Amino acid sequence: MKKTNFIIYLLFLVGILTSCEKDITVDLPQTEQKLVVEGSIEQGQPPLIILTKTIGYFEPADVNTLEKLFVHNAEVTVSNGSLSKQLIEICTNDIPDSLIPLIAVLSGVNVNQLAAINYCVYTTFDQSIWGEIGKTYNLTIKADGKILTSTTTIPNLIPLDSIWYKNQGTYDTMGYVWAKLYDPPGKGNAYRMFTQRRGKDARMIPIIGSVFDDKFIDGKYFDFYSIRGSEFNSAAPDDDGEQRGYYKITDTIDVKFCNIDPSSFLFWRTYETEIYNNGNPFASPTTTMTNIKGGGLGIWCGYGANYYTIIPQ
Amino acid sequence: MLKFSFALLFYDFFMKLFFVSFIFLFSSVCSPIFSQTKYTISGYVSDKTNGESAIGANVYLKEIMKGTATNQYGFFSLSVEPGSYTLVVSYLGYSDYTQKVELKSNLKLKIELTTSTIITDVFEVTDEKTDKNTQGTQMGTVQMEMKQIKEMPALFGEVDILKTIQLLPGIQSSGEGNAGFYVRGGGPDQNLILLDGAPVYNASHLFGFFSVFNSDAIKNVELIKGGMPAQYGGRLASVLDINMKEGNLKKMEVDGGIGIISSRLTIQGPIKKDTSSFILSGRRTYAGDLAQPFVKSTSRFKGSNYYFYDFNAKLNYTLSDKDRLFLSGYFGRDVFTFKNNRDGFIMRSPWGNATATARWNHLFSEKLFMNATAIFTDYNFVVELEQQDFEFKLFSGIRDYGGKLDFNYFPSILHNIKFGTHYTYHTFVPSNASAKSGDVEFDKGKIIKQYAHDLAIYLSDDYDFTEKLRFHAGLRYSLFQQVGPYDRYMKDEFENTTDTIYYQKGENVKTYPNLEPRFSVRYITGKTSSLKASFTQNYQYIHLASLSAVSLPTDIWVPSSAIVKPQFGTQYALGYFRNFKDNAFETSLEVYYKEMKNQIEYKEGALPESNMSDNVDNSFTFGKGWSYGAELFLKKATGKINGWIGYTLSWTERQFDAINKGNKFFAKYDRRHDLSFVGIYEINKKLTFATTFVYGTGNAITLPVARYTINGYLVSEYAERNSYRMASYHRLDFSLTLKGKETKKFKSNWNFSVYNVYHRYNPYFIYFSNEGNILDGTLKLRAKQVSLFGIIPSITWNFNF
Repeated sequence: MKKTNFIIYLLFLVGILTSCEKDITVDLPQTEQKLVVEGSIEQGQPPLIILTKTIGYFEPADVNTLEKLFVHNAEVTVSNGSLSKQLIEICTNDIPDSLIPLIAVLSGVNVNQLAAINYCVYTTFDQSIWGEIGKTYNLTIKADGKILTSTTTIPNLIPLDSIWYKNQGTYDTMGYVWAKLYDPPGKGNAYRMFTQRRGKDARMIPIIGSVFDDKFIDGKYFDFYSIRGSEFNSAAPDDDGEQRGYYKITDTIDVKFCNIDPSSFLFWRTYETEIYNNGNPFASPTTTMTNIKGGGLGIWCGYGANYYTIIPQ
Repeated sequence: MLKFSFALLFYDFFMKLFFVSFIFLFSSVCSPIFSQTKYTISGYVSDKTNGESAIGANVYLKEIMKGTATNQYGFFSLSVEPGSYTLVVSYLGYSDYTQKVELKSNLKLKIELTTSTIITDVFEVTDEKTDKNTQGTQMGTVQMEMKQIKEMPALFGEVDILKTIQLLPGIQSSGEGNAGFYVRGGGPDQNLILLDGAPVYNASHLFGFFSVFNSDAIKNVELIKGGMPAQYGGRLASVLDINMKEGNLKKMEVDGGIGIISSRLTIQGPIKKDTSSFILSGRRTYAGDLAQPFVKSTSRFKGSNYYFYDFNAKLNYTLSDKDRLFLSGYFGRDVFTFKNNRDGFIMRSPWGNATATARWNHLFSEKLFMNATAIFTDYNFVVELEQQDFEFKLFSGIRDYGGKLDFNYFPSILHNIKFGTHYTYHTFVPSNASAKSGDVEFDKGKIIKQYAHDLAIYLSDDYDFTEKLRFHAGLRYSLFQQVGPYDRYMKDEFENTTDTIYYQKGENVKTYPNLEPRFSVRYITGKTSSLKASFTQNYQYIHLASLSAVSLPTDIWVPSSAIVKPQFGTQYALGYFRNFKDNAFETSLEVYYKEMKNQIEYKEGALPESNMSDNVDNSFTFGKGWSYGAELFLKKATGKINGWIGYTLSWTERQFDAINKGNKFFAKYDRRHDLSFVGIYEINKKLTFATTFVYGTGNAITLPVARYTINGYLVSEYAERNSYRMASYHRLDFSLTLKGKETKKFKSNWNFSVYNVYHRYNPYFIYFSNEGNILDGTLKLRAKQVSLFGIIPSITWNFNF
């Protein structure tokens, strides 16, 4: 018996000695700054474009640097085939603070973030170019001597059949949001889902693995569950440890379930692979597949959105 | 451009030389046979103590200083004019065998060699005229003796053939935690690994920490990294030909070893003395199992485990003095289970190889030897995930049925002709998945299998043109045909299927016929020196596609198809070989240039699920590769202190139109400098000390250069592919083998080894971590390097009775 104990002790010794992780300094090459587009258009809502630039990986990350990344005075045009409108730039510094929550809802940007820095978006109050189901929207951006273009479509609405909350396993106060979906036959449908807990989340947050397409579910009638997403590096107590990913039975949950087009799907799918993997070598390569042409990065995405509210109790 | 035109020039020259010599060789074969009466000395060479046949033993006639080497089954044949000769047989680690022969008629011999009395001669027992280093036409070929491999330091004391060959120049490991090895800039899939003639598709256990070859069951290892002879094909970079022991023909024998993480046991012996024998060998790890009692029953990871095992068996029958039969098999599995009881998450992943071969040797005459082989090999990988109501299963694999007919013809002492035909029927399951949510079965599409015929015919000759000049010329015709049933999905720009083409069973989907010339020449420049050159062209019809930056068992094998063209490689090599001090020191310098076409990678942005319910080749993109370099080798073969130093300077590049904006990039295993040192010191008869040191330029990896924010999250923009180098890899190992008291019946030894003596954390991978938040100014971005092993001491007890 003593002998086996010894072997096991040795094993543990080996376990302690092996495997290490340490901080290293890497010398990254300088690179040209690129334009980054974060654009969306949803039915019944204005086009919203956030135009920023890339920054060296290890450059300081504070509010000042962040503000400097916004690209101002760009010529941003959206057209729907028959109509073309130039967007105006609105910055949070230029509008009364009382309007910020409204901008937060519209832009999907965290309300705290909007309040903290001079946040700018390109948009328009001209409703003739606001989103309509089934229409295709072309985006043209002229900035920094570059011309970026992109195209997206607001697909037809595909609503959920039903949506509910269910306690997970042995928990009696925590669980996931479940939904039933009937995917129409014919491939090419893709989905993206967000949730927002009233009073807790500052915006609609994409769920974990927020996009999926109908590659495996074409024409199927099925249930799926969603794990709650969180803000970037959130330090909130319910985003840490055991509570992470769960909704609470006491939450009131707003759900946004969208149909997106295939190129938007490809962007969000590779984007999520990238942000979850962070260079993990066991994972797939992390090239985020942009739909912006002309040397820019980012996404121009049309959403056919359905809204639901779940009150678990 | 200059490089390219040089290559063209070389190519043209070698092709002309090849065809001239080829025609010339075979016209010269016939003429001398009839010109004068010749008699043949033929026979088998084996080990006296256990009857194992001696592969590659030198057999020569002292008077005329000409000879041959035994083939894979220990057979040789020499046809010479009548007269009296002194026949000498010399072989690695054995005493020279000498016999006077009066040749008046054909002579059949059965030669049994005894182990060298001078124990220190663990390397080749050399004779001026028999040293293979300078005399053979073969370039870039290394034979390793198991005894030597067993004395070297080993990770966890687990002796490993694949790890040992990586200490040779031109062969690179990719560090810990990567399966496979890299030969002269070729990928891990470009090595043909044969176990008793059957290809092994994944030669590693535990993500590359151990090879599937149990050292107790292996007799002989030969590695060919350049100038591949025509009897081998189907891979671009190298051949690793491994032969299992045949089993002791004289007496029962038991070998075993007990180590920290695994144990082995081998039983072998005669079924009927001197005519038939068997060997059974098994190995299993228990590290994961041993840890089990210590995992608390309340732990959320209770039930997680890892182990591997393998099993070798072989039977050997001498049916008559003209016929021998060998049956051999291998079966091995890795099983990994991960449980997270809190989340109800279970992952179970078994994978492994199975091979079986039946071989029949037949002598048609003293000059014509035949071997017929039937082959089965299978590799498969499964991963099953279970969480909540979801079940997900992913599986991939490859299975071959095949046959070979190989002939060895010795018309005169000047020629050694080989010809034959190989056929394989492949079944590929590149990647298939099934998924279930509750009762709803998700559409994973049809299980897409791909079927292919793989046929080759070859002819080659080793010909002594003059005393100094020897040619090897070979030609291989290969034909690869993908056949139905097969569904080809046509894609639009968003990868949606727009149309499907259906192929019937056996219907031709795509056929590739190709000619592969092989040519090498040796010119003796002095008493113990020679110059060698070789030119080789190879086609490779199967490809290993890897989605991740490290090679894993999840990498899938795919066949050539209408989209995936066969890989095509051309290699030029030039070498100078010289031995010193009665061949006590062997040195060589080889330079090579290699071009590879139709190399395969996943498209940028390819996703793990892209493979499923689709033609896997739709996710690939294709490009070119180059590799060139120089290899220096210095070996001290004899004496109480022996060992070698190998150094390689090389460059390996790739170019894909659809990757890295079409710019050239370094392959991830591009290794500018690669150094290995092996030293063995026999302190006394009981105690042997061995040390190895390795140094290699860090792997080329892709790192982010810039970041941006989308949806509140940081996204990385990546630099040019593989433009960053990780820190270099270096490591020193020691081992001490202490022989226990030896009786006639029982032998044992203790092996103490220390891996990574100076506890260096060599990089395994680098990742970037971010913590905190931009808004409150707490965001911290850091680069982290992960290493696997620090210093690891281990102890193994080996026994034999």
